[in-house]
Amino acid sequence: MKKVLALVLTMLLVLSAAAMAETVKIGVFEPATGANGAGGKQETLGMQYANQETKTVEIGGTEYDVELVYADNASDNTQATSAAQKLVSEGVSVVLGSYGSGVSIAGSETFKNADTPAIGVTCTNPQVTAGNSHYFRVCFLDPFQGTVLANYAYKELGVTTAYCLGELGNDYDQGLVTYFKQAFEGLGGTVFAESFPKDTQDFTSYLTNAEALSAEVFFCPVSIDYAVKIIEQASSQGKTFPILGGDTLDSNMVSNAAKGTSVKVVVTTFYQEGANETFDNGFKAWLAEDAEALTNNGGNDIIAGVTAMGYDAYYVALEALKAAGSTDPKAVMEALPAVTYDGVSGHIEFDETGDAVRTTAYVKTVNNETGDWEFVTEQTVG
Amino acid sequence: MKDLTRKKIDSATIITGAIVIAVLLASFIAEQFMPATSMLFTVLKKSATYALVAVSMNLLNGFTGIFSLGQAGFMLLGAYTYGIFTIPVAERMNVYQYYNGGLVQFVVPWYVAMLLAGLVAAFFAFLIGLPVLRLKSDYLAIASLGFAEIIRALFQWDKLGPITNGSNMLRLFPSFNDFNIRNASGEVVVYLDTLVPLLITTLCVGIIVLLINSTFGRALKAIRDDEIAAEAMGIRLASHKRLAFCVSSFFAGVGGAMLAMYQATVQANGFTTIMTYEILLIVVIGGIGSVTGSCLSAFLFVAASEWWLRFLDQKQMLGNFEVPLLRNGFRRVVFSIIIMVVVLFFRRGIMGTKELPDLIRGFKNRRRKEAASK
Repeated sequence: MKKVLALVLTMLLVLSAAAMAETVKIGVFEPATGANGAGGKQETLGMQYANQETKTVEIGGTEYDVELVYADNASDNTQATSAAQKLVSEGVSVVLGSYGSGVSIAGSETFKNADTPAIGVTCTNPQVTAGNSHYFRVCFLDPFQGTVLANYAYKELGVTTAYCLGELGNDYDQGLVTYFKQAFEGLGGTVFAESFPKDTQDFTSYLTNAEALSAEVFFCPVSIDYAVKIIEQASSQGKTFPILGGDTLDSNMVSNAAKGTSVKVVVTTFYQEGANETFDNGFKAWLAEDAEALTNNGGNDIIAGVTAMGYDAYYVALEALKAAGSTDPKAVMEALPAVTYDGVSGHIEFDETGDAVRTTAYVKTVNNETGDWEFVTEQTVG
Repeated sequence: MKDLTRKKIDSATIITGAIVIAVLLASFIAEQFMPATSMLFTVLKKSATYALVAVSMNLLNGFTGIFSLGQAGFMLLGAYTYGIFTIPVAERMNVYQYYNGGLVQFVVPWYVAMLLAGLVAAFFAFLIGLPVLRLKSDYLAIASLGFAEIIRALFQWDKLGPITNGSNMLRLFPSFNDFNIRNASGEVVVYLDTLVPLLITTLCVGIIVLLINSTFGRALKAIRDDEIAAEAMGIRLASHKRLAFCVSSFFAGVGGAMLAMYQATVQANGFTTIMTYEILLIVVIGGIGSVTGSCLSAFLFVAASEWWLRFLDQKQMLGNFEVPLLRNGFRRVVFSIIIMVVVLFFRRGIMGTKELPDLIRGFKNRRRKEAASK
């Protein structure tokens, strides 16, 4: 038994060594399990689709095969460190990820020590890229998103009182609530903010509170699971205020929850289906062929914003590799600030912090009859 | 009659010491010559941290017979204390971005902060020990578990934000990597980032071992075996238990500070009950009542979950044959099965209640017997 095992392991080693020739490795630093597992998988799908669309890249005159190396950070800060280390020890040239800002910040130190650049895909917390030169990001930031939502609520919905609800201990929720509050109060509105403890199932008291405070809009930039429960309970209580959310709410699970109810759900997101026909059709065709990918997308072929971002991030990484002319992570890091790319989610170029310059977010809402996302407007903040 | 009160330093103890020193030396040498990106060092750092916390838990569960599940809470206290007092003042505006740079505007050296981390945890242990230690077995476990949850929620409360940074993470404090000695141009000359955590753990575990083998430690074992008998022999139950609880929490606090250094970030969200269970699992797998076992299983646990089994998350090809089942998340399944097998078939853990010197002595005795029978 031991001999067989040893033989198999050696063979694996030899095979992987043989496959290593002329291969450039891109690390996928995403949660596949834990609280953000679903979102992380959808983001990874974008990269996988991009990878099977463009399998090779020309670096310094040589054609390289691109290999995606996965490390599951399990949405957990302790495991993020070792997941990051695993990617670094496999010798990746550049890292993509992660869904969730907390794990990105936790893994950041490891990438920094190994001089490996990382491209954040949908981690929106300013702290991911602030004060370092190795973390980049292709999406917009929380201050921007909070301002967009506050503007939309105040100007488009015409409301003056907002109720904010975030999960206690979740920096994403609390950060977005803070920025929303700043912007909304700056416009002249009133904001009430509350937090709920982790694993809360019953949100009726918060919904009742919001009504008692005569809030006209309910802002809850929470994880998908909570959002689904909030929408269901708002519906059964017959609440009339619209529910506003950030990019996390852009999920088919949320739209399914709002289907058949009278709850109005409005979210800001990175990408709106229909913005790029080729990408939409290609991705859907790929999902139809690959059963596993379909499962990871939540069982249907609605395109999540994070998938489009993962797709763009992959191409940004390829551009950086081309510009670097080498697979050396250090060279890639030096080449990244100058990289520009026109992706399906818009034009991407980096500012001096390493953040993509983004001035537009898509606002969309759920059609309560069909359960589909409908495009509302493009909100721009200068 | 043999003198039971004073143990002589026998050769087995010396060999054990030599093994520990050899391990430290080996890791130091490996660190200098192996690539710094190797997973081995990450695993060693994390397992050093977990080993310390597991041994501190073992002091309660294995040697005193107090079933406490508050370890994550005490680690959180330690990690936050360390973080709060060591973030450079210049970086505080960045870290406490929503709280105007926070309240604390000074730093202390890392070793002072680490000591403080232990003391804060021990102080809280003293406070909650007053009511909680009156409880027994399951009730004590429930109360300490509740304590850990309350502490976590308290640290996330935004009214305490100027100190704890609320729901946001603490970062930018000195981590293990800052122990590396660098030359003027920033290149690492001597790697110490793995040796230092190992040394801290060795020192702390050494203190705990001395404590276990002292009069106090024997009193704890007496309490574990039979409280009434121990009391009848003149051991003060309340004060012994309280002291054991505080000492255990002190080292859990130090372990928390080490975890903060390992992660380079601290966020209250991570210190969940699951973390306590992980440590309990390490204690059980290693053997309840064995310090050696806790250290060994901490390494095995971390290495298996973070390193050796990671390949299960990736599709593997054998020629043209794709190995079935291997994909993201499968590692967790295999890991759970391994744990179940261990718990089912090695109920007393790897070491039972034996320590490394016991094994060496046993080995010697066997050889002596063999020699005698010839």
